Amino acid sequence: MITFENVTKKFPLGNIALENISFSIEDNEFIFLVGPSGAGKTTILKLILKEINPSEGSILIDDLDITSKKFFNILSLRQNLGVVFQDFKIIYEKNVLENVAMSLLVLEKYSLPQIKEKVREALVIVGLKDKEKFFPIQLSAGELQRVAIARAIVGERKIILADEPTGNLDPKTTWEIMKIFKKIEGKKTIIFATHNADIVNSFQKRVLILKDGKLIKDLRKGKYQL
Amino acid sequence: MREFFISIKRTPFQSAASFLVLFFSLFLTLFLLFSLAFSEGLLSYLETRPQITAYFEPKTNENEIFKIRDELNSSGKILSIKYINQKQAFEIYKKMNKDNPLLLEMVSAEILPPSLEIYAKKPIFLPEIAEYLKKQPSVEEVQFQKDILDRLLNLTSILRKIALGFFIYLFLMTTAVLITVTHFKTALKKDEIELLALLGASSFYIRKPFLKESFFMALFASIFSFSLALLTLFYFQPFLNSYFQGISSLVLNIFNFSLTVWPINWVFLAVIFSLSSFFGIFVSLFSTFLATKKYL
Repeated sequence: MITFENVTKKFPLGNIALENISFSIEDNEFIFLVGPSGAGKTTILKLILKEINPSEGSILIDDLDITSKKFFNILSLRQNLGVVFQDFKIIYEKNVLENVAMSLLVLEKYSLPQIKEKVREALVIVGLKDKEKFFPIQLSAGELQRVAIARAIVGERKIILADEPTGNLDPKTTWEIMKIFKKIEGKKTIIFATHNADIVNSFQKRVLILKDGKLIKDLRKGKYQL
Repeated sequence: MREFFISIKRTPFQSAASFLVLFFSLFLTLFLLFSLAFSEGLLSYLETRPQITAYFEPKTNENEIFKIRDELNSSGKILSIKYINQKQAFEIYKKMNKDNPLLLEMVSAEILPPSLEIYAKKPIFLPEIAEYLKKQPSVEEVQFQKDILDRLLNLTSILRKIALGFFIYLFLMTTAVLITVTHFKTALKKDEIELLALLGASSFYIRKPFLKESFFMALFASIFSFSLALLTLFYFQPFLNSYFQGISSLVLNIFNFSLTVWPINWVFLAVIFSLSSFFGIFVSLFSTFLATKKYL
């Protein structure tokens, strides 16, 4: 469970990215974060990743206050998070299998055969089982995003943070990517930041609507509305 | 090892720069280590030679020599005195000239002078002892090695200071170059490093490939520089043989450990190789650690 309690994030130059935001996300829940650019969607994801710290308020993940001064276990926190970015963040010197395997190798607890097995399972989910030896340069944008999703879902990462993962994709590819999210829905907590009204409306999931750093609506089975 | 060769293939110029700077520094380090070892060994050797040798008239009565010896012993300034009689002097002479029968035929024990080999407790007492011996009518000649010893002591002390300064300079220069080169390498992998951090990789996990590469780079540089130093040393072996002629061995005493530096032997070479490798690996790992800190 993820809980934001009166979270405010101010940047050094004084601009307020988030203002007094509170919400909770249940385990295995699928939620959309929507809002115009600068509304604070990415800031929420960065706060969960502990890339930045809030100026005020606290964030609890499974009852653990990750904003506390006594919290040092960033590695353990991040090892439970899978991240999908708009620009894919794929390593071009590594093939598909190696890119996805990075997510498991950093855990330093699996043997190479175990890693290969788990990576192949993830590649089956994203529909790339025959392309494990392909290098990124040989793949389309949609396929690159599938690799990134496979990297996020492989292993036991419980929370998937997707920061506008379809932002760079054409409508057809976007729907193919969303089908993958549909497949993992209910198995992991998914926080999906997007501008795409069609996606939000078709999924009929909980929607957190942000504007100017404020949470203006929290809708169950919501629709994209600004 | 596979990662090491892939990294060299991907960044050949940066890898060459790292290797060459390490090779150059380690070669100079080896040169300094050899010079220091030989000069310290020579100093130890000279310190074990008699500091003053007094040669008496060949027909001097032994009792007279013993009287002088006892007087010196009672002064409280003497560490030890060894009396060499004519027979012993002849034995030494025979040993020194065993390859020259003509010289052996010309000399007998009777014409060689008896002598006292004297070691003082402190070098400061040496001029006083030499002066006392020169005043004795039976003393024919006094050999006083203080000047040679002082000069060598001075030279070794200067060499030690130069070596220390040079080591510091080499350390700083190598560290600066390696940090710059590793910065280039880490900049090329910036995206991967940031991604690994987001995936929850530990700092050590992210640093590991860079540290591994720098370890192998330093190891190869130390092997190559040592091989070149060894070839140079063997090339100059005839010169060293003539330079150290008459010296059977040079020994370095470090704490309770004795190391024979001359004649050149495998233990001495192994110690020198270990020291230079340790220096190279330490500098290389230290620089990589500092360079990778930027993204972690």
